[in-house]
Amino acid sequence: MPFSSIDAVTQRLQAAGYYADRRLATAVFLALTLQRPLLLEGEPGVGKTELAKALSMALQRPLLRLQCYDGMEQREALYEWNYAAQLLHLRAAEAQGIAADVESEVYQPRYLIRRALLQALETPPPGAVLLIDEVDRADEPFEAFLLEYLGEYQVSIPELGTVRALSPPVTILTSNRTRELNDAVKRRCLYHWLDYPERERELAIVRAQAPQVGAVLSEQIARFIERLRSAPFASAFQRGPGIAESVEWARALAALDTIELDPEIVVDTAGILFKQRDDVAALTRELATELLQSPEQAAS
Amino acid sequence: MSGIVHQLGDARRGKLPGNMLGFGRALRRAGVRIDSTRIALAAEAATRVGIQSRFDLAAAMEAVMVSREQDRLVFRELFDAWFRDPELASKLLAQMLPSAEGKAEPPKRRPRVREALAALREDMQAARNEREVNFDAAMTASDRARLRHADFNALGAAEYRLVEKLARDIPLPLPAFPARRLRVAGDASARSRIHWPGVLREASRTGGEIFRLPRWSRREQPLPLLVLVDVSGSMERYVRLLLAFLHAATRRAGRRDVFAFGTHLTDLTPAFRLADTDAMLAAANTAIDDYAGGTRLGESLAELRCHHARRLIGRRTLVLVISDGLDTGDPAALDHELQWLHRHCRRLLWLNPLLRYEGYAPLARGAATLHRHADAMLAVHNLNALEHLAASLAALMQRQVTRNIHDGNARHPQA
Repeated sequence: MPFSSIDAVTQRLQAAGYYADRRLATAVFLALTLQRPLLLEGEPGVGKTELAKALSMALQRPLLRLQCYDGMEQREALYEWNYAAQLLHLRAAEAQGIAADVESEVYQPRYLIRRALLQALETPPPGAVLLIDEVDRADEPFEAFLLEYLGEYQVSIPELGTVRALSPPVTILTSNRTRELNDAVKRRCLYHWLDYPERERELAIVRAQAPQVGAVLSEQIARFIERLRSAPFASAFQRGPGIAESVEWARALAALDTIELDPEIVVDTAGILFKQRDDVAALTRELATELLQSPEQAAS
Repeated sequence: MSGIVHQLGDARRGKLPGNMLGFGRALRRAGVRIDSTRIALAAEAATRVGIQSRFDLAAAMEAVMVSREQDRLVFRELFDAWFRDPELASKLLAQMLPSAEGKAEPPKRRPRVREALAALREDMQAARNEREVNFDAAMTASDRARLRHADFNALGAAEYRLVEKLARDIPLPLPAFPARRLRVAGDASARSRIHWPGVLREASRTGGEIFRLPRWSRREQPLPLLVLVDVSGSMERYVRLLLAFLHAATRRAGRRDVFAFGTHLTDLTPAFRLADTDAMLAAANTAIDDYAGGTRLGESLAELRCHHARRLIGRRTLVLVISDGLDTGDPAALDHELQWLHRHCRRLLWLNPLLRYEGYAPLARGAATLHRHADAMLAVHNLNALEHLAASLAALMQRQVTRNIHDGNARHPQA
């Protein structure tokens, strides 16, 4: 077992630069001990992909990444034959007059081009970390294709037979929920909904990733972002800033020699927090002033 | 926490699996989809995580037993009630006190949990007296004004036949576009990609000689469809049959999102997922609560932009606005929202029942704005005659979208 306890998961992930809350650490701990894939859903920018990277670092296992996209097919995810080499083999065999059993000769493992999924299965113990990123972008037939892998950690290649995992890869699936995933996929996975981090965790992340930012400023940034994401302010925006955005913002503010947040600088740097024109426009000076007030001030 | 240990018992003595099974069944009764392998897995997870910390146990159970975001709240409530937290129990008790005010409507999710627990109550009370389940009887009352629900009757037999017949005879030709996926097409046009696995299979049989090049061709898939139906007072006469027809006619559509709008936006997509048209109408009944109110298209579209922007897929969605354009909202906002919508869809089509009047010109402010942004406006001379609606809609879709697709095709000759 890679981790002895939930605390160990939290610590090792933190050492790899990832601040997981207790709930997420529990899910990761279970995924590892029960050897189940872990499906992460959540808004963009809450650290779904980062978790896989941090896990690979914490476990010191290679990370294999399968970025899904519309129209993704088996040959991009699993394997493809090296057709050019196979054809050369055929011609050579023909030239030398070796006719016997050419067909099985051509389909040897050495002509196999291994893609991420197959690579993950064939990684020698302790195995790999496989990230199947944004699985909701691929289509439903592709999900169906994943079932065998997710359930049994094996795949079938018609020409070669079944390939079983040497050591079950730690598998992380992420989804932005542009569509609901098939129940069959979900049944085979553990599930965790990732929320935006609470203030302390966000503060820790900003401090770790942007150490040049002063203590007062990073405190302010974390509070500002937290209020921005919460009701009633969140409904003014199409997409709230993710963790990457707040870190980027902190860095930008440090580069601008900001000591304290004021509405002026917030409005001027809104383009880092929001990537949509409507959202940038929605963050007016008045709104920024209101957001910067402490809750006690706002109440009075 | 000794309470939990007491409840769960000792795994080695086999009390844990039994408890987990009961909890799993309660979850299932509350509408969380969960099967028996999951319950077994949950029991195993509990032994791995340990039952010393209540929070860890809850997190572990959640990771195993929940697989949809919307089930999380139900799970947490039920977990707390099941592994009875004294603090929560007192809270629930306190909530029961102001129930004298009466007529309180519990929030949406609660009744499911309550019913699941109520069914349990009987067998549990028999087993143990003190394990009484507390109800959260009185929650905050709804402060919404009385809203009018749509009164869609189920379809009469004649209407049903008409709708079915129309849907069959005039299938809305949802335009297709070339998908990213390929299929083997034998000897397709020389412009498409070569199907190398096929080439190789043949070549290995003929000793490396290639006589024929099998090709890939693109699959086609229908454009995603998003329908916005006006349910304001002026549209009252048409809405019911229109919904029925849309439901029957777009059944085979790839992806279909339907919203009703009046003063605000209502998501009818879950209702449209029901296969039966009557069931769909009944579900739409309960969902729509601003029926025959005013029209505020701008605000409704803003809601669409903020909360459902991802329903517009990859700028290839076909958006159908069914409205008479008599908008009572802010015209500037409407203009802004329509601009956004137009930028994010492939085609914006406007279906207007008022067009049956000769010499109609979109002069009303809302109508003028819609007219400016829509790619096409459909003249429906008699909406009661659904035949006509369907036929013109079909023609319009064909004209507006297929042309565009063929243009698009020409731009990507071959990979």
